[in-house]
Amino acid sequence: MNTEDLIQSLSMTLRPVPRRALGRRIGFGMLGGAVITFALVVSILGIRPDLHQAMLGFSFWMKWIYTASLGIGSVVAVTRLSRPNPTSLRWLWLLAIPVLLLAGIGIGELANTPSSGWLAMWLGQSWMICPWLVLTLAMPIFIGLLWSFRRLAPTQLRAAGAAAGLAAGAWAATIYCVHCPETSAIFVLTWYSLGILLAAGVGALVGPRLMRW
Amino acid sequence: MQTSEAQLKAWMTDGLDGDAVAHAALLRALVPLLSSFYRRRMRGADDDVEDLVQETLIAVHTRRATYDRERPFTAWLYAIARYRMIDHFRRRKISVSIEDVETILVVEGFETSANAQMDVDRLLAGLSPKQARAIRDTHIDGLSIAEAASSAQIGESDVKISVHRGLKALAARIRGDQP
Repeated sequence: MNTEDLIQSLSMTLRPVPRRALGRRIGFGMLGGAVITFALVVSILGIRPDLHQAMLGFSFWMKWIYTASLGIGSVVAVTRLSRPNPTSLRWLWLLAIPVLLLAGIGIGELANTPSSGWLAMWLGQSWMICPWLVLTLAMPIFIGLLWSFRRLAPTQLRAAGAAAGLAAGAWAATIYCVHCPETSAIFVLTWYSLGILLAAGVGALVGPRLMRW
Repeated sequence: MQTSEAQLKAWMTDGLDGDAVAHAALLRALVPLLSSFYRRRMRGADDDVEDLVQETLIAVHTRRATYDRERPFTAWLYAIARYRMIDHFRRRKISVSIEDVETILVVEGFETSANAQMDVDRLLAGLSPKQARAIRDTHIDGLSIAEAASSAQIGESDVKISVHRGLKALAARIRGDQP
């Protein structure tokens, strides 16, 4: 095709691009995935029966704030990496803050618990399935992000994949909170984080293949 | 002739706001920029250069939402161009010798050259028009003395003298001998 014809046809049906188009695109992708994740949690796992009670307590919000803060940080990283020339990502170490805070709470809990109860507190009821559930629930959000990326221009595909996986995992974990009955900080620190990291790993693995353009 | 960063950015922003004429002007102005970008890095292979230019124009168009209006346009453009080229090599399974990687990764010095251009313009503005033109023709645009003389319709020795006096005046100015 002749280059001039190409230019003609590209500018023929030009639609304006609002300033926030990039954020909106990522938001739509994630929201679409999150709706499916939420539907899966409600229909298959079920909302914990004592959610109302739990929402008055500390541990529910501790979990929720932990996963949501990871979610916010990773979405900012996704947004940056969706541009061909990303700005600095050095601030990502800030994501260590929620991890350290949660670790601090965990140490406090351990100090207030006889050491015979530590193992039960660490493993909870669901340590074997929690990471896998988070990983599975992350998939719809990750797929939503892949849809977003079809109009975006990442050039560091592995990093972009990892960031998208991290964001999907963190938000999936945030949604999973409405089901999960676990209460201890070291449980969340270990098994939630493991699930989120698994999602980030899957993202890093498939990013170069699926985000190519 | 390269279009300036400021002009490209203005066209890009207008295009984002929905101005189809500005968008077409932008894409047209990108063709020579991208052609020289790819030709310098791909030795020969003219068909490939044309394919890459077109692919990049399409990417600039479909992925224009990723341009941040607060940041330089050419940096965004060349980031896309570089990605398209690496992807091209990957698709064709072309391996690049390690010596060539440097030329591929070299960042297009558009902003620096644009700034240098402005400095040159400012300096030459202080000379007489004849001297400024003679220096521009022979030292910047790379014409021979004979070509410069015929294009300015003056004698060859006149060109030489203008260049000589002009450069001397510039040197004096840069040393600070004259305000």
